[in-house]
Amino acid sequence: MGNLKTKRSSFKLHHHINWIIAAVALVLVVILSFADALGRSDVSLLNRVAYSIILAVSLNLVVGFLGELSLGHAGFMCVGAYIGCYIANYLNSVIDSPVLVLIITMFVGGLVAAFFGFIIGLPALRLKGDYLAIATLAFGEIVRNIFKNLPYFGGAKGLIVNKIFSSTKPTLLIISFIVVLITLVVTQNLIRSKHGRAITAIRDNEIAAKAMGINVTYYKLFVFVFAAFFAGVAGVLYGHQTTPVMYSFFSYNYSIEILVMVVLGGMGNITGSILAATLITYVNFVLQNELTGNLAALKLLIYAIILIVVVLFNNAPVFRPIKEKLNFRRLFGRKHSPERIKDDAAAWDRVPTKIQMDELLSVDVTPTNYEPDKGLKDGGDD
Amino acid sequence: MKKVLSLLLAALLIVTCFVGCGKETANEIFIGATGPLTGDASSYGNSVNNGAMLAVEEINAAGGLNGINLKFEMKDDKATAGDAATGYDSLMDEGMQISLGSVTSGSCESFAAKSVEDNLFFITPSASAANVIENRPNAFRVCFGDPDQGVLAVDELEKAGYKKIGAIYDSSDDYSSGIYEAFKAAMAEKKITYIEQSFDAENKKDFSTQVEALKDCDAIFLPIYYTEAGLIAKACVAKGCTAVLFGCDGLDGVADQIDATVTNKISYITPFDVNSTDEVPAKFVAAYKAKYNETPDQFAADGYDAIYAIYEAMKAANITDADIEASELCEAVKKAITDASFKLDGATGEMKWDASGACTKVPQIVEVN
Amino acid sequence: MSTILDGLSLGAIYALIALGYTMVYGIAKMLNFAHGDIIMVGAYAIFVTLASTNLLLALVVSILLCAVTGVVVEKLAYKPLRSASPLAVLITAIGVSYFLQGTAQLIFGSKSQPITLPSLGSIQIGNFQVELRTVITLGVGALLMVGLTLFVKCTRTGRAMLAVSEDKGAAQLMGVNVNRIIMITFAIGSTLAACASFFYLLQIPSVSPTLGAMPGIKAFAAAVIGGIGSIPGAMVGGVLLGLVEKICTSIPVLNPYTTAIEFGLLIVILLVRPIGLLGVRRREKV
Repeated sequence: MGNLKTKRSSFKLHHHINWIIAAVALVLVVILSFADALGRSDVSLLNRVAYSIILAVSLNLVVGFLGELSLGHAGFMCVGAYIGCYIANYLNSVIDSPVLVLIITMFVGGLVAAFFGFIIGLPALRLKGDYLAIATLAFGEIVRNIFKNLPYFGGAKGLIVNKIFSSTKPTLLIISFIVVLITLVVTQNLIRSKHGRAITAIRDNEIAAKAMGINVTYYKLFVFVFAAFFAGVAGVLYGHQTTPVMYSFFSYNYSIEILVMVVLGGMGNITGSILAATLITYVNFVLQNELTGNLAALKLLIYAIILIVVVLFNNAPVFRPIKEKLNFRRLFGRKHSPERIKDDAAAWDRVPTKIQMDELLSVDVTPTNYEPDKGLKDGGDD
Repeated sequence: MKKVLSLLLAALLIVTCFVGCGKETANEIFIGATGPLTGDASSYGNSVNNGAMLAVEEINAAGGLNGINLKFEMKDDKATAGDAATGYDSLMDEGMQISLGSVTSGSCESFAAKSVEDNLFFITPSASAANVIENRPNAFRVCFGDPDQGVLAVDELEKAGYKKIGAIYDSSDDYSSGIYEAFKAAMAEKKITYIEQSFDAENKKDFSTQVEALKDCDAIFLPIYYTEAGLIAKACVAKGCTAVLFGCDGLDGVADQIDATVTNKISYITPFDVNSTDEVPAKFVAAYKAKYNETPDQFAADGYDAIYAIYEAMKAANITDADIEASELCEAVKKAITDASFKLDGATGEMKWDASGACTKVPQIVEVN
Repeated sequence: MSTILDGLSLGAIYALIALGYTMVYGIAKMLNFAHGDIIMVGAYAIFVTLASTNLLLALVVSILLCAVTGVVVEKLAYKPLRSASPLAVLITAIGVSYFLQGTAQLIFGSKSQPITLPSLGSIQIGNFQVELRTVITLGVGALLMVGLTLFVKCTRTGRAMLAVSEDKGAAQLMGVNVNRIIMITFAIGSTLAACASFFYLLQIPSVSPTLGAMPGIKAFAAAVIGGIGSIPGAMVGGVLLGLVEKICTSIPVLNPYTTAIEFGLLIVILLVRPIGLLGVRRREKV
């Protein structure tokens, strides 16, 4: 009995907030679409939001939780979109139900993308840091280059996808949000499991993790495959919304856009990724009409500033005092409680890295700015 | 939590920035379009936009359509399919009744796929890929189709009697490969041999290898856009290649890309000649220069003609209701424009349409230097 | 044969860019993603100044502007992150790259614009007509490579650079001003980028805000293939990549897949020999 009680009282909102957000969003979408309150552009915006969230959350697994920078996420999406939609074009003449076609193609697209994730995960075992980032970027470009030139996939014209979902009906939108919900539940469960802890352990210190008996090879590959699967699923959703599927969309610039979402939302912070993906997609959508001509450069500048400012603010020692002063808990006079430390979120200055690690371990001189206490306590010195 | 809060605040800020755009109802028919106003292809989008705006102003100044004003708006699609689709959705939300589709082929495919569902009439000024109007009763175009240009080019090259012919096309671009495929088929049919070279968007800036391979040709066929054509012309100079450069309507604008060092003769097929002395083109060029202080290109002329095609067809269909539904308007306009007696004397020549949506008009060859 | 010459010419440009990458990576231990965009800055500097003055002055302006941009970027964006993880620095570098592109687009528009540079003509070597720019690009590349090697090996600053590259902390203890050395590295790297931009324009006479992005990434690939941190490696990698690109372009079947083959080569090299062709193996210390 006592056991049961602790279990019940240990329900913590912040452990479940992500899928609750998604579930609320899903319910809202369903209500709004049946009340006919959504305009066409709302539907297309929400569709974009849905696949952006899937992309951002899955990239966050690789970047935020595993600690490897991948610049090829759009490549996996590309694989999913092309393969999934290619199959959908055949299936929809055989199967009547568009929903069933979508589900099958999502699985197939995701699995093929996952297979590519496996292939690119292999170098990830040997490469570290910057090298891996460049290898993934190269992979994304290779995929795009190949799909562009295969006549089966429409070549330069792009793959024309038979529209099986009417753009005036919200079917696709509702399915997209269900997929988002599934993604979040699966990710959340993964992170909170022993596997998730193994993954963050690899991020925090690969050698120590290895010493603890964690199968580093297995987990690295696993994360790449897992993230690639969801990127592929997002690609299929994208393809059903946007025809033709064009190679040009999946350039490394799009990978970087997803990265911007992850960085803005916070590395290793799923809730952050959801919010940032929504925000950035929305801003993009609004700016598409507002910023035309040379003003479109402002979008690039906004991205640039987000990337630079967020990273500098989180990392530069110069900003540490300001950061502590602006600390949320401090501002609201909340006491620091140790159990509220997010064990999965990666504080930037604590994400170590495969390169720096070797320096840290081999040199006895402590780096000038290394302040383990302050970093760990998150402003809990009051 | 700190991050969440800052995100929410940022979102709020942005939302408040853009609140306040209401919808007004007026006695006008809303013509929508999407096109690249940004990026590498932006010159096409801007030209079409300018040409169309000019036509709309002229029509409204002359009293509009049976007293109804026309309203034209182009959304930026950066020449991407995704943005064209969202552009379409926003335009429909804003009450688009009839349309110019999209400026570039890839975007227009996306636009057209959505427009079929709503039965929205569109006449694209410049999306020339064959698939854009194929099997779509609501889709029409002002420009030549890609395959037509390829076939035309073969005729011209055959007429000029060149001995050794080369061709460079962009394998990553649908416009270029569309023309090239038809060109290839037509050449094979006439049993004319030629040397083929291609390039790809990522490597499109350096043409030394391609030009080297075609150095000895009398003529090089360039079914590509003018920026690359300018670079190819310069590469020809560097390699000492004296071939005649012959292209399609994408070459319009190449004159600004080359300088005095380029001695190769450059010519291209186009329906629009800026130096034409015919009444309508001359009037259009003068009005365009007066309004925008620059010389119009073929895209501007296409945009201008597309608006006039819609206007004339609506006039022929005797549209008097400004609030007419898109689908109803589509049926009326479609009937009028495919009528045997309907023809438009526009800036790009005399045009007629059939049910396929393709436009018949006479091509011209323009020489640059 | 002419394909090989064209490849050498293109390869020499990649090599020049790769030299800059390798300098910065070797010493500051960071992947300067924005290096390609410094080339774009240099190209626009030439584009603007050439309109009013002569080529020599344009070159000087371009070099100065690039060096200043490089140093300012380093001071504002990278220096505060000296002790942060490479991941953070890389993301900032991507941000800087976007920033430079966006600024250029805001000022000059997103269209590519043609630029007229004096033609250098060509010379006859044996049976082959060789373009002079190919010879000059290669020559300057080789000269810079030798110069840089000597600079690093024989001067005080150069040796300080080596020390910083080995171990920042230890170098600082030995009295090396690490910040100054890294600043100088960036200035040199950016100067190389300015040179590269000139030769790039000789080959491809058109400027656009994204002009540096692809050559930048390919040059990075070249630097990695040659062995990052190794100055002769950058040269070898650059020329190799240029040759591969041109040979693939000249074979019709492979032509469309050129980009895939180049990047494929990078991945293969990374897998087979992660330190690159001429790289020096660093022992992983635990």
